[in-house]
Amino acid sequence: MLLELTAVTKRFGGLLAVREVNLQVQAGELVGIIGPNGAGKTTLFNVISGFLVPEAGEVRVDGRDITGVPSHGIARLGICRTFQIVKPFGNLTVLENVMIGALTPLRSVVDARDEARRVLVRCGLGPWQDVPAKSLPIGLRKRLEVARALATRPRLLLLDEVMAGLNATELKGMVGLIRDLHAGGLTVIVIEHIMAAIMRLCQRIVVLHHGEKIAEGPPDGVSRDPRVIDAYLGEELALT
Amino acid sequence: MSVLPQLAVSALLLGGVYALIAVGLTLIFGVMRVVNFAHGEFLMLGMYLAFWAFTIWRLDPYVVLVAAIPLFFLVGAAVYALVMRGIIHASHNVQIFTTVGLSVALQNVALVAWTGDFRFVRAWHSDAVLRVAGAAFNLSQLVAFALALLLTLALFAFMRWTRTGMVMRATAQDRDAATLMGIDTDRVYGFSFAIGIAAVGTAGVLVAPLYPVYPTAGLQFVLLAYVVVVLGGLGDMVGALLGSLIVAAVEVGGSYFLGPAWKEVLYFVLFILVLVFRPAGLLGQRGAETLGV
Amino acid sequence: MVTRYVTQWLPGIFFGLAAATPLVTRDAFFHDTVILILMWGAIAGAWNVAGGYAGQVSLGHAGFFGLGAYSVALLAVRWDLPAWSGMAVGAALSTIAGLIIGYLSNRLRGPYFALATIAFAQVLLIVASRWRELTKGSEGIPVPFRPGFATLGFPSKVSWIYVALGFALAVWAVQTYLEHSRVGYQLAGVREDEDAAQALGIHSRRLKILAVAASAALTSIGGSLWAAYIGFVDPFYVFSIDLSIEFALKAIIGGTGAALGPFLGSLLITSLETYLRAQFSGVRTGFTGIYLIIYGCALIIVVRFFPRGLAGALAVAGRSGAAPVPQPADAA
Repeated sequence: MLLELTAVTKRFGGLLAVREVNLQVQAGELVGIIGPNGAGKTTLFNVISGFLVPEAGEVRVDGRDITGVPSHGIARLGICRTFQIVKPFGNLTVLENVMIGALTPLRSVVDARDEARRVLVRCGLGPWQDVPAKSLPIGLRKRLEVARALATRPRLLLLDEVMAGLNATELKGMVGLIRDLHAGGLTVIVIEHIMAAIMRLCQRIVVLHHGEKIAEGPPDGVSRDPRVIDAYLGEELALT
Repeated sequence: MSVLPQLAVSALLLGGVYALIAVGLTLIFGVMRVVNFAHGEFLMLGMYLAFWAFTIWRLDPYVVLVAAIPLFFLVGAAVYALVMRGIIHASHNVQIFTTVGLSVALQNVALVAWTGDFRFVRAWHSDAVLRVAGAAFNLSQLVAFALALLLTLALFAFMRWTRTGMVMRATAQDRDAATLMGIDTDRVYGFSFAIGIAAVGTAGVLVAPLYPVYPTAGLQFVLLAYVVVVLGGLGDMVGALLGSLIVAAVEVGGSYFLGPAWKEVLYFVLFILVLVFRPAGLLGQRGAETLGV
Repeated sequence: MVTRYVTQWLPGIFFGLAAATPLVTRDAFFHDTVILILMWGAIAGAWNVAGGYAGQVSLGHAGFFGLGAYSVALLAVRWDLPAWSGMAVGAALSTIAGLIIGYLSNRLRGPYFALATIAFAQVLLIVASRWRELTKGSEGIPVPFRPGFATLGFPSKVSWIYVALGFALAVWAVQTYLEHSRVGYQLAGVREDEDAAQALGIHSRRLKILAVAASAALTSIGGSLWAAYIGFVDPFYVFSIDLSIEFALKAIIGGTGAALGPFLGSLLITSLETYLRAQFSGVRTGFTGIYLIIYGCALIIVVRFFPRGLAGALAVAGRSGAAPVPQPADAA
């Protein structure tokens, strides 16, 4: 069991953002988390990645309790997350951005640079190596976000809405990239709002609504689940 | 404890003036979300205005006051247009150093133009001492307090009950929402800044009879103003008022019990303590200081 | 092509010229200016470690400077200890203060942090100027001149040129290290986006604290050297906010993104200052304030329109046309 969440609960003042969520992810899986806005998806990621401490519940990695481990510690355990609103190191070049990721597992700057180049090529960002990150359009920024996380040599990658804001071509590219990374042995959890992409991509879908897990299972099962359809009522074409 | 009434009165009188300074600062920060490091320099300019008007035209500072308000309003508007407008959406560092640069420039304009000599405004009321209920204070202090209080309350009323005031408060709360509502935020920022500068420039005129006037006079006051504003919660006007009284009390009490030499240490230590333990101030929004808001 | 070599060789040219000064001229005033340019440049560079590389803008670095200056002066005057001990003590005290202030930088962002640093330096100023028993109060303390290496008692300005040069090179080296080392890259990440850096496994809080402490120690050493050179420590000067601002000013105008930047800023500002002081001393001393008016305005302009400062401008001039930015269609 790579990642296990038990009854994780996160409260903000009076608001219960995440309510007793249980989740189990085996190594090598490609899991998707979906849910309407405000369902608690990013909050869940924040808890897993150490940016938030839950009021109750446990987060375990390989059986070890990591609840409350600070964010920088989580990455060193092999879990790396991206941000919904991308956070590139704007004034640094694309290469430098990824190098900083690579410098977590690697000590030498030279090695990190080589690793970063490899990662950039793998993610299709080779031509933009020396471009300042802030001049990249959104599609490439999202890729950079993934590349940078990848450079930390994670075992588990948490991707937070990496497809939002992409056009059709970029979307296809991103889906292909994620599939490729997963095929390479990486465990991936994807938060997504764009159903079409996530349904095709993931083996298993978890549905959150108002902080609770309301459904879980293979894509077709979940998309036909009446509770899920009900939760998305009003969000047209969300499930197709 | 017969010294208590004296201390209380002194603190109150001082607090009123600090309130006027702090309220302007709070306004600027609350609406524009910019920490104005040059605030003290406008106070200094107000003091010099009073001095020169008094020296050249024999005008009493309280007469100059009337002209000072619109004058500093215009100055504030000009500074906004020339300097501040461009940095509203810039990074913290840009904002810090822009206002620091402004502060350095203004201080040295005063230094070059009027030299570093200490100047004094000795109006007839500077030395007139009143005694009430065991407390002694001089007339200048009383008038400064009264006028400062009046102006502060006028500002409050303006913010509370006029449409412009409401628009300003709305922008302070959520600038994006304000823009969406069709509020011209640039106008609001300019107006807020101008009022903030008018307030502190006027405060300068008011305190000129009480303190020596010199190019770096603003420094002492601005640091104090920041202690007040941080204590009261950056962006909260009632808090600024409360903070003024507390800081004035600390200063007067500290001066009495520890001697004037150490009172400054006292409120700086207070400042650092507040910043560390309750940086949102007594009434301010918790987390505002770490969000860099 | 030629300009590109200029920017790469610029540090060598700068320090080389400084080293060659005694060979070029015997003018003591010129030597003095070079010494000050190097010292102030180094201290601005020390500020840059925290302000530029770690992104923690401090307006209270005079606090560390003053601690270094006073340590040398007090240890020499009261206990007859050589300047090196004073320097070490000052550096130790400043490191501790720097660790505390670095801790504060994790709780306070941007302007709030700057305000706290101002208060820090002000407290030291007040204490130093009032605590007569310890520091002789507002009179200040003269630093006794005792010939010898240990007491930094160098008889000639020429020796001081090389002492200042040594310090300057050390600070330049520290900054250069921060540009090319693992720690430096991580710090850059923290500076750009702390959350993102943390998500990548960087212990941002610890890095910031260490950067501020290092900056504090270096600034303190600069203060110690300065005190030994000038020979007099005045609390209203060494702890002043004006001084704190000048450190930042030199770094920013010169360029915080380059190791040589603060030195370029110092070159520009110190030269103009000494020139004006020479021109106007005795006539209208207030005129020396003119250079500060200029630099106040320059700061406003530079920070907004030329964020990379002088060094950045030179680097841009040195690039013979930027490479074209690839378009998304070029993607694999």
